[in-house]
Amino acid sequence: MANKNKYPVVVFIGQPNCGKSTLFNAVAGLKAETSNFPGTSVKHTHSKVNYGGRIFNIIDLPGTYSLNPSDPAEKVALTHLFSEKPDLVINVVDASILGRSLEFTLELIELGYPMVIALNMTDLAEKKGIETDIKKLERLLGVAVVPTVAYHGRGIKELLEAAFHCLDEGGCAAHKRWSRDVENKIQEMMHNLPRDFPVVGNPRFTAIKMIEAENLLFNEFLQELRPDLKKRLDKVRKDLEDMHNAPAYEVIAAERHHLAMKIFEESSTVKRGAKRALLERMDDLIMHPILGYFILLGVLVGFFLVIFKIGSPLEEILLEPVGQLREFLSSTLGSGFLFYVVDGLIQGVGGGIAIVLPFFVPLIFIMSFLEDVGYLARAGFLMDNFMHGIGLHGKSVSPFILGFGCNVPAIVSTRILESRRDRVITSLLIPFIPCSARTTIILALVAFYLGPMWAFGFYVFNMLLIGLLGRVMSFFYKEPSPGLILEIPSLKLPSLKNMIQKTYFQLKSFMLFAWPILIVGSIVLGLLQFFQIDGVINTVLAPLVEKGLGLPRETGVTLIFGFLRKELSLVMMLQALGVSYHDLMTVVSREQILVFTVFVSFFIPCLSTVAIIWKELGARIAFLSIALNVTVAVTLSMLVRLVI
Amino acid sequence: MISLIDAPSDTPLRIVDIHGGHGFRRRFFALGFHKNNLIELDSKSIMRGPVLVRNISNGTSLAIGRGVAQKIWVEIVGEQK
Repeated sequence: MANKNKYPVVVFIGQPNCGKSTLFNAVAGLKAETSNFPGTSVKHTHSKVNYGGRIFNIIDLPGTYSLNPSDPAEKVALTHLFSEKPDLVINVVDASILGRSLEFTLELIELGYPMVIALNMTDLAEKKGIETDIKKLERLLGVAVVPTVAYHGRGIKELLEAAFHCLDEGGCAAHKRWSRDVENKIQEMMHNLPRDFPVVGNPRFTAIKMIEAENLLFNEFLQELRPDLKKRLDKVRKDLEDMHNAPAYEVIAAERHHLAMKIFEESSTVKRGAKRALLERMDDLIMHPILGYFILLGVLVGFFLVIFKIGSPLEEILLEPVGQLREFLSSTLGSGFLFYVVDGLIQGVGGGIAIVLPFFVPLIFIMSFLEDVGYLARAGFLMDNFMHGIGLHGKSVSPFILGFGCNVPAIVSTRILESRRDRVITSLLIPFIPCSARTTIILALVAFYLGPMWAFGFYVFNMLLIGLLGRVMSFFYKEPSPGLILEIPSLKLPSLKNMIQKTYFQLKSFMLFAWPILIVGSIVLGLLQFFQIDGVINTVLAPLVEKGLGLPRETGVTLIFGFLRKELSLVMMLQALGVSYHDLMTVVSREQILVFTVFVSFFIPCLSTVAIIWKELGARIAFLSIALNVTVAVTLSMLVRLVI
Repeated sequence: MISLIDAPSDTPLRIVDIHGGHGFRRRFFALGFHKNNLIELDSKSIMRGPVLVRNISNGTSLAIGRGVAQKIWVEIVGEQK
């Protein structure tokens, strides 16, 4: 299988939480993202690596439990595996749950690509009392097995040597024979594959996947093109079902399971009653029906305290130079066209550095800590109850928590949700979660001028609103959510190296994606001001702004175009009103501050969020999201104005 | 044979069958939950909330919603710890 480009392509594939990305990072340096929440490196990353003079491409794929994808993240892994035909597959296996991991390993062996197994987390397996005889496992599987502890970088050298050996030798493991009756059926199917039938991997793998394929599309497709083959397939499936009185796909899954358990038992010994590790005993507290919630509350409160203890001072320090630069600029460039463009540029760049980053970086760092330890999966377990109230389930918790920092990575992380329904509802709700920019506005306005209790009330109101919207939306999306099926990985000590790498990786994707959009939006706003279009817009919006919301007319542009530079909505309002932050009250009443905050919080969050929804879920959902945000923002702020 | 949701916690149970559509059942197979596996219901499940299921056969654990747990049929094969 010589690959077109001259460097061999090596793919890292394994079940979620097997340490695949940690191993990938150990081999490749700063590239992939690792976490302890199933399905985090939902994008796959490439890296060109040079080891001992040999150059090769390595690719880290999202975790997948089997070769039959069940959520978008798994589909990314499989389309890549089949379309790219890698020269070598490194199957990363969690040694502490070898029995289950082998089921996927056997499926990969059936595929027949050249393969090496990285038996990862052998240190964790030992703690659990599991000892595996590597040589025996290799003999049973017919594939090279290299013990690794990616977390400490142990075994990397041996793994790469085994990989090169396999690359040079080529060849792949002989497939493992199943029980006679099932094997005969597969042979029958295999021999009936017409010569020109598209074969994936090898005929046996294709035959197995045909038998397992349950989706209607494939069956109809086959019925259309090859009715005789379809008849054969139905016969084989029927025979299998009669033999084991279970559907064909279940018979095959059971075969793999029994074979995996046999190999596991023959190659490993498990010392029962190994004393429960400290981390396991901690688990009883973390997931305790009552205590668990106090810990969760503590984690969330701590989460915000740390972010704002680091964020606010950092913001002040960084805003200084941006402000001075702008003053210097206005003195030198005067107020020509150039000034507005450059000023818009600086505000966009400065806004990114001085306002978004001071909150974004600590947030992502803490999130990676929570993920690395495995706490996010447990938060999903604890929060599942509340999420049911809004028609979702525990798996949406992680995207929601991410949303408090920035909506953009939160939308991307909805890829771990199996059903499109859950994914759409979660993605429509995320823009209502106050990101760090909006939280700054809530703190700077509501907390400062109306008092902390008002700000707390605002947050509670915000959560209730999200709950209400969730219920309303699940009313429209009739089909029930499939319910929570979330693996709870073992608690692990966090690795600082992993957390730093993950923060760097998230930061880079933010810089590449959201920041340019922020800068462009900021320049557009600058041009609006230059061409005095903002005056025109204010008059056009006056009926809504003044009559509807009871706000000064000048805030029109800030309200409607605030989403171009959400972080700067506060600054823009002060500028529009021509007043400094401290004497804002001279121009605006307390009620007006509340109405302004409600509007800005629930209006379109920012251009990047709309762009990412468009990219992830398509145009229709993006427009639906915009419409939803606009209507809720307008109606709510009018309501608030009438009520208070 | 009883539904997992009614089973006592911390008691070894054997999976007899998994009801539901093929997508749902395949998800469990992929997670390593098969017929005849030994599982245990952890006592930490929350009033109406999800239940925590430990698979003794392969050492993994899953948090599953109550609706999901109702579709898993088990029989008791040991006494409560």
